[in-house]
Amino acid sequence: MTFIKGLFLFLFLGFFSKINAQNFELGKVSIEELQEKEDPIDSTAAAVILFNKAQTFFTYDVNNGFSINTEQVFRIKIYKKEGLKWANYKVSYYVGYERYNDDKVEFDDCVTYNVESGRIVRTKLTREGKFNTSINKYWKEASIAMPNVRVGSVIEYRYILKSENIVKFPVFNFQQDIPVNYSEYVTKIPGFFIYKAIKRGTFEMEFESEIARGSISFANKNNITKTKVVSFGQVNNRYMAKNIPALKEESFVDNMDNYRASICNELEQTHFPDERTKDYSLTWEGVAKNVFDYNSFGRELNKDDYLEADLKRIISEVNTQSDKLDAIFKFVQHKMNFDGDHSILTNKGVKKAYQEETGNAAEINLILIAMLNSAGIKADPVLISTRGNGVPVYPNRTGFNSVIAAAEIDGKQILMDATNKYSSIGILPLEDLNWTGRLIKEDGGSQEINLVPNKASSENVNFVGSIDDKGKIIGQARSKKTDYEALSYRERKKLLSNDAYIAKTENALGGILIENYTVKDNINLSPSVIESFDFVSNNHCEIIAGKMYINPLLFYTDTKNPFVQEKRQMPIYFGYPRQMKFNINIEIPKGYKVESLPNPIKILAKDGIASFSFNLQTEGNKIQISVLEELNLAMVTADYYDALKEFYQKMIDKQNEKIVLTKI
Amino acid sequence: MKIKPVLTVFFIFLFVSARAQKNEYSSLLIKDSLKENANAVVRLNQIDILISSQRNMAINSTRVITVLNEKGLSVIDAVENYNKKTTVKEIEATIYDGSGKEIKKIKRKDFKDNSAAGGSTLFSDSRYVYLDYTPTQYPFTIVYESKLETSTTAFIPQWYPLSNFFVSVEKSVLNISYPDNLGFKKMEFNFVNFNIQKTVDTSTQLSYTAINIPAQKQEDYSPSYSSLFPKVMTGLEHFHLEGVDGKAKTWKEFGQWYFDEILSGTTSLPEGTIQKMKVLIGDETDPIKKAQLIYDYVQKKSRYVSIQVGIGGWKPMFANDVDRLGYGDCKALTNYTKALLEVVGVPSYNTVLYGDRQKKDIESQFVSMQGNHMILAIPNGDDYIWLECTSQDAPFGFQGTFTDDRDVLVVKPDGGEIVHTQKYIDKYNSQFSSGNYSLDANGDLTGEIDIVSKGSQYSQKEPIENLQPTEKEEHYKQYWNTVNNLKINNLSFLNDKSSISFTEKVQISAVNYGNLLSGKMMFCINAYNQYTGIVKRIRNRKNSFEIQRGFFDQDEINIALPQEFSIEFLPTNFELKSKFGEYRTEFVKKQDNSLVYKRTLFIKKGMYSNNEYNEYRLFIEQVSRNDNAKMILTKI
Repeated sequence: MTFIKGLFLFLFLGFFSKINAQNFELGKVSIEELQEKEDPIDSTAAAVILFNKAQTFFTYDVNNGFSINTEQVFRIKIYKKEGLKWANYKVSYYVGYERYNDDKVEFDDCVTYNVESGRIVRTKLTREGKFNTSINKYWKEASIAMPNVRVGSVIEYRYILKSENIVKFPVFNFQQDIPVNYSEYVTKIPGFFIYKAIKRGTFEMEFESEIARGSISFANKNNITKTKVVSFGQVNNRYMAKNIPALKEESFVDNMDNYRASICNELEQTHFPDERTKDYSLTWEGVAKNVFDYNSFGRELNKDDYLEADLKRIISEVNTQSDKLDAIFKFVQHKMNFDGDHSILTNKGVKKAYQEETGNAAEINLILIAMLNSAGIKADPVLISTRGNGVPVYPNRTGFNSVIAAAEIDGKQILMDATNKYSSIGILPLEDLNWTGRLIKEDGGSQEINLVPNKASSENVNFVGSIDDKGKIIGQARSKKTDYEALSYRERKKLLSNDAYIAKTENALGGILIENYTVKDNINLSPSVIESFDFVSNNHCEIIAGKMYINPLLFYTDTKNPFVQEKRQMPIYFGYPRQMKFNINIEIPKGYKVESLPNPIKILAKDGIASFSFNLQTEGNKIQISVLEELNLAMVTADYYDALKEFYQKMIDKQNEKIVLTKI
Repeated sequence: MKIKPVLTVFFIFLFVSARAQKNEYSSLLIKDSLKENANAVVRLNQIDILISSQRNMAINSTRVITVLNEKGLSVIDAVENYNKKTTVKEIEATIYDGSGKEIKKIKRKDFKDNSAAGGSTLFSDSRYVYLDYTPTQYPFTIVYESKLETSTTAFIPQWYPLSNFFVSVEKSVLNISYPDNLGFKKMEFNFVNFNIQKTVDTSTQLSYTAINIPAQKQEDYSPSYSSLFPKVMTGLEHFHLEGVDGKAKTWKEFGQWYFDEILSGTTSLPEGTIQKMKVLIGDETDPIKKAQLIYDYVQKKSRYVSIQVGIGGWKPMFANDVDRLGYGDCKALTNYTKALLEVVGVPSYNTVLYGDRQKKDIESQFVSMQGNHMILAIPNGDDYIWLECTSQDAPFGFQGTFTDDRDVLVVKPDGGEIVHTQKYIDKYNSQFSSGNYSLDANGDLTGEIDIVSKGSQYSQKEPIENLQPTEKEEHYKQYWNTVNNLKINNLSFLNDKSSISFTEKVQISAVNYGNLLSGKMMFCINAYNQYTGIVKRIRNRKNSFEIQRGFFDQDEINIALPQEFSIEFLPTNFELKSKFGEYRTEFVKKQDNSLVYKRTLFIKKGMYSNNEYNEYRLFIEQVSRNDNAKMILTKI
């Protein structure tokens, strides 16, 4: 423990001004709080967090070094029975470390308050309401079931989570699924450590910071009867927010946690006296070096002896760089099977993964990169964060959870991820389409990589149909899906039998009858998917008082606006830009003529984020309809919600205008 | 010992399977008839159950599955549950490629071990081990072997030779051996049309072999698979459950045992609570009214928390503890309610059943431990009132769709009894909508409506009241998804728990409801209750089909038309009668440019043959077409 000796020399000067604790202390529940029938701000709230305070501080132990301790306290008012679920609380903690002791969680001061005959009655949580479950090899879970909780109760609980893994503090959420009246998070970080605080969400919070004096005491190693006290400078940060509204689920959202007001601290540097400053992730260069320093990344990437023989065989008959790329990608994609684990580090190692033909994301894509490099194609790893993992905000290492490959041919960069059987060159699995990734090089160089596609994926539908005098429509349809539309199709289809898929399609297309369905869906030949079928429809032409009424898009007519909410909190996520094109040719029955057609139209949503154009014309007994719908961005901010909703409404209204046929 | 030969055979099998090349596992050997509609083929599923005494049972399984594609992965089902009384002695698997060449061996340490807690269960002392295998190719064959040992003989696994849809079976074998003095019994179900042989049936041994069962397709509206597929239930008259011996030949005896050995001694309460209950009921003498007061007390005081500890989840928490803690699972809350009722002199009985929206009976012809849920029965003349004690807002005596219309076991102090719960059939599951709407010259709609729901429709509607505002909005936009540009202007509810009816009062508006084109306006008359569900076309349907619950909707809507328009076309009245139900619409023109729209839709509960499915589909198609009937107005 060399650094301990020098601790005294390493002092920050500062004052410790006590943070004003207001009346947010456990145990001081008022009768007014208990008697309140509904939340004065949000009367619909099922429960409200009256306050939630947390602090993270360090402790030291001679044998195990520093630990971080995060103390959380809650006071919650239950207004409705749906809020009763807050009377149970679970905290998961990690126990799968190789180098550290297990994390620990301890609940105490857990009390339920009720009013009975005008008096406050307290019921303490005893051992019988505390549970500890070993979930699996890596995780345990501490849980409590608060006693005597009913509608109207106020409950309080406190727990401490202790961890020797100091790389990252637990995420502190200011915002929950119910409103929070007051929320406060304090970090007390000794001067040996520098953390970066990563803030998410748009909710405004107050911040104070001060330098104070901290100290730790520990048993002297040589003489256990003596306790040693070491004091040092410490940075105390305090974040505070009031009246934070509940964060509620909305459709078209990439990951709700991206928008939840929260703070997470990640270790950037340690500088212990007498030791060199250790850089963790201050710069992208630091991140790159740091990742490459791991044996299970850098060294794994440079192994290539295991794949030489296969490589030779694969590329023996191809010449150009891009053909090689294609052959290698398909080989790895086909050979390797993803075990479902997104990770930036290898688990069993590339060699073993290669042998067993299964691996995690790092293993599979590092194999791909090694093979490409070995074949003379420049390729580098790109760290990414999958959608489920959220947005990587600053230069940091823990924000990423997966690796993909970037190859360069003729100065053009091409992204690939071989973990998915339906992805292709330049088309990543949908889970990867999340903000930006970071290409890293062994020398510390790095580059930001946009993971959101710019190019629209398309679906083109062509069909010809003829209407008979009973209103029955028969015809043929052909649809071609490209890029991400093809990928989405394959993902949807993968767990459905052909029959089930056809039945589903028949239902989705207003109950038409599909016959002679064929599909060209071979990802080795073409990334696109082409479906064609014959159809019979009995319910897309209405005969009313001798006239026929038909929607121009027949069974492709949209009838529902996907945006139903009146207000929107979070940005609207589509994943990728898209384009839908229809070319329709309808033959009208003998003895009928066109009485009226909907007018052509072009609708443009605000700032061109979406557009719709609609054209019709008649030629003899045929009506030709061409429609183009475009959604030009993968994601738009909530400001665009009204514009988007209105755009969809206009488009749907137009699609539902009728073609009218009358008897000659 | 008769079990020895079985063991020997088993070990030989193991020994042989340790070799690397197993030609018989080659997927090429599978008959074409077994590949049709199959995602996986069960080459062999052999279950050997060895009951050596009332308190000891070993279950050895060997499954050889050829998985043809990704959809068939779940058929492997390499998972075993365990707890303090059940141990997993062995579990392992070997993977072979399509030609039968061994590619991987998976030992016990490579299986994952998880807690059964999670989801709604806060704590459970049960765990499970499972195989998390990433296939590298299809088809592949897996040989899965497990050995379990348990002291619980109250549950002997049921035998399903065909375990799921889209799976075919080459061979499935059940061998059970048992001492002849434990009262072993069995019951066979749905053997007709399947190739199943009973190969041994003696006083100590029973064996079945099923061969060559083609894969079955899953079809909408099918009865549950346990009523379609073959099944064998087995049990002992002398059994053991988590430290308690039991003996029962009849439901009466079974109930008696359950009452005496498991439930007794769990209902004592603190004196304070006893007094409180007496004060609560005051001088009320009617037992049902007393029960209403007690039920209301329990609903306000308690909440449902699932904690599964010990005795296979069969013994309730003590009423004392529930009283102190204010929570419990279904057994605990039922038992607590029973204890409170006891104090005020109202008898009531724990009732064991299957709680599920898909109705499932306790198999009344086979006396054994069954069920997954508990409710409370209060005798009411010749009948019972059923209380769901896990709900904080269910009306007194209302069963909804989770426990209605099924056989259940009522456990009385003097024995058990099979009883059928409340049926909510057909016309009782009603929805009455009455209201109006008017259209202006632009086709904009404003209207208001009262919707009163009862029976199973009450169960569906009642939760709306407790939704968050955005969820309410979403519900109505979904419910009226045929009305574009829908705006909810006002919303209120009346939940009458005494008559069990739920009223929604809604005011809406929608711009452009009427479609204007060249001086005409066209709109769908039935704005409030269009039946939009489509019954899927199923080619060559095999299974019979079932409508589990009938319903009855009645609508009466006044429609005010814009003064600037006159009626050009009004659909004619329509009536449709079939064995599935009835449908009627009526359009009554009034003097003042208004009209009344009347509609009834009645669907009956019933079980029908596979051939009738298409008829039903066409019936529903006609209903939805007429529900979408349009009216045309012309500008004056």
